[in-house]
Amino acid sequence: EEALLPEPQNISIISTNMKHFLTWTPVIIQGETVRYSVEFQGEYEREYANESWIPICECSLITTTVCNITEDISASVAYNLRVRAAVGARRSEWGTLKGFFNRITTSLTPPLMKVIADGYHLLVELEDMGPAFQFCVLYWKKGQESRMQQKVVKEVSSVVHLDTIEAGPDYCVKAQTYVEAINRSSSFCQTQCVRVPGGTSMWL
Amino acid sequence: SVTEIRSGFNAIKANIQARDPIKTLSILSYPHSLHKFKSSDRCCITHHLFNFYVDKVFKHCKTEDSYVNRKISSIANSFLSVRRKLGQCHEQNQCMCGQESTEKLDQILVNYEGLNVTSAAIKSLGELDILLDWMEKS
Repeated sequence: EEALLPEPQNISIISTNMKHFLTWTPVIIQGETVRYSVEFQGEYEREYANESWIPICECSLITTTVCNITEDISASVAYNLRVRAAVGARRSEWGTLKGFFNRITTSLTPPLMKVIADGYHLLVELEDMGPAFQFCVLYWKKGQESRMQQKVVKEVSSVVHLDTIEAGPDYCVKAQTYVEAINRSSSFCQTQCVRVPGGTSMWL
Repeated sequence: SVTEIRSGFNAIKANIQARDPIKTLSILSYPHSLHKFKSSDRCCITHHLFNFYVDKVFKHCKTEDSYVNRKISSIANSFLSVRRKLGQCHEQNQCMCGQESTEKLDQILVNYEGLNVTSAAIKSLGELDILLDWMEKS
């Protein structure tokens, strides 16, 4: 009887900014192409659907050792993940992720941001990180941190207008992301300051 | 979140509703629309309807289509997540069920049990936007 394939090892999740990937160590069989299949199980399947597992067809019989599970991890509940190897008709046992995965643990990175002084307008360009992301943008006149203003950006358009500004002083901006679905924010990005060239007041 | 339930449902709505041949009956809206109910009944009706979907509906909606099954799983797991938040208001006793809402919930179960379980489950799933619309409006 053919030896059973070894099951995939070191199964883990890499989750950043609400994008979730399952990875594992490759199974090495000399002279063979090993393929992998991934399945998931949410709290609903565990508690109400006889502990059933759902295959991810984009990760069925793949040769790579990473699977994008973002589409299926779409609720803030505990998920189980498993992967098995296959060579021809031979299958390994399922290798299961140690512990559950809940998307509330995703790591949130500060957003990429570009601040622009366009004439007497303070503008900011924000990275489009997907529909789950909002942005909290803080801006102030340098030296007047106590009069910091805030703008919440729910949908990223190309450029966001923050304020009209005067020639002369520096204006500083920083931003963080907010994900309503998991009620968490990233840390703030590096502060960026700009000024309107010329230095004379626009009212002269 | 409810937004995610809505987008998961929109992705399979046409597919699910196409599987429901009985167009003359409604599980949620017969004889009265959900919109007839006061907002004071909102927590009670929402709480019990979430239980209805989790306990009775989703498990009988398995299809031959892997994509549809995955979306149903997304919706079902999102229901658990939202229901947990609703549970907090239920525990703080802000969730009294008046006679009218109790009668309405009973009627929904009668409508459901009047069909065979798979047809009733698919029809209820196809009517999910009725519940979502009512939740967002009330």
